[in-house]
Amino acid sequence: MRTKLIGWAASLGLLLAALPALAHHSFQAEYDADKPVTLKGTVTRVEWTNPHARFYVDVKDDSGKVTNWNFELASPNGLMRQGWTRHSLKVGDVVSVTGAMAKDGSNMANARTVTLADGRKVFAGTSGDGGPTQ
Amino acid sequence: MNDLSGKVTLAVVVATLMLAPAPAAGQAPTGPVGGGALNEGILAKVPNGPSPRLADGKPDFSGVWSPDRNFTYDISDALKKGEKLPIQPWALKLAKERPSKDDPEANCLPTGVPRLAPYPWSIVQNRNYTYILFEGNIHSYRQIFMDGRKHSPDPNPTWYGESIGKYEGDTLIIDTVGFNDKFWFDFAGHPHTENLHIVERYRRPDLGHLEWETTIDDPGAYTKPFTLYGHSTLETATDLMEYICQENNVDVGHIVGKDSRNSLPKQ
Repeated sequence: MRTKLIGWAASLGLLLAALPALAHHSFQAEYDADKPVTLKGTVTRVEWTNPHARFYVDVKDDSGKVTNWNFELASPNGLMRQGWTRHSLKVGDVVSVTGAMAKDGSNMANARTVTLADGRKVFAGTSGDGGPTQ
Repeated sequence: MNDLSGKVTLAVVVATLMLAPAPAAGQAPTGPVGGGALNEGILAKVPNGPSPRLADGKPDFSGVWSPDRNFTYDISDALKKGEKLPIQPWALKLAKERPSKDDPEANCLPTGVPRLAPYPWSIVQNRNYTYILFEGNIHSYRQIFMDGRKHSPDPNPTWYGESIGKYEGDTLIIDTVGFNDKFWFDFAGHPHTENLHIVERYRRPDLGHLEWETTIDDPGAYTKPFTLYGHSTLETATDLMEYICQENNVDVGHIVGKDSRNSLPKQ
């Protein structure tokens, strides 16, 4: 599934720039900017916590198998400075997320862009963290 | 300065444009910290005006200041152009070997000095103390004694060290010893020893800008003292906000790689 999704993302020209990075940890030591992923699914949990806000999404593949993905966002403070609130993502929302996959192969990614339930497309990373920007 | 600034600025502009539409119905208001202010201060308008002064005539360094990422990624970026870190071979070897998962900052431990996290920070002065407050990583502070005391003969090694400060004209000079050797100077993993002695010289050339020079003397890990140059702008659209790193730090278990600066630190 993962390979297929990556291929799909690449075919749509969603390959993200491989920029060096920054948060409270090294972005590039944890995530691979060369492995972009775009996933669509239903939000199952939102953690508005430090050092990073996180949300979890059930993603169904073509065979109907559901996998729960863990997406890292910027810190709640960083997100609020960009106009997010703790209500921006809610359990049950159907969202599309573009991000960079974790290097350790787990179902985890650093979300860079989230298309919210209302259609708004929002930047989800830490501004200036050096990670992919779209 | 950082070669990513252009890209980052673009990203910030794009992000802001994407968020420009009015909040969706039912969405809570952004609150006092919103308005698109960003932690690099790139979009926030830097105010003009003369350097403010305290009631006693001393320079006033108060305000929320932007992070200088040259003090986050790799301190080599904060050297004068053309200079290289005078790092001893063992220290260079250690920097190259350090896996990013071991970076104390990734583990919610303090940055130490002179490292800055990518979050706003603030300076608070009164007669006998100056405090440097950090929003993030960790949500802590440096205490600088301004009462004229000398350094302790054998200070207990700590993350922020023992700092004594004084004014020299419009410059705030902070002299710090008594560091532990646990923190990394940057993502690149540049190390130091308990012999570390740091002298910082802060100036506020106008209302919206802060400049500082940090001279690092650590004969345990470097062959000679060297000076870093820092810059911040005044963040007028935000306050410091609470940031408790230990709350949900699930990252460390997933950090399997090394920062490229960690693998190939500049010398």
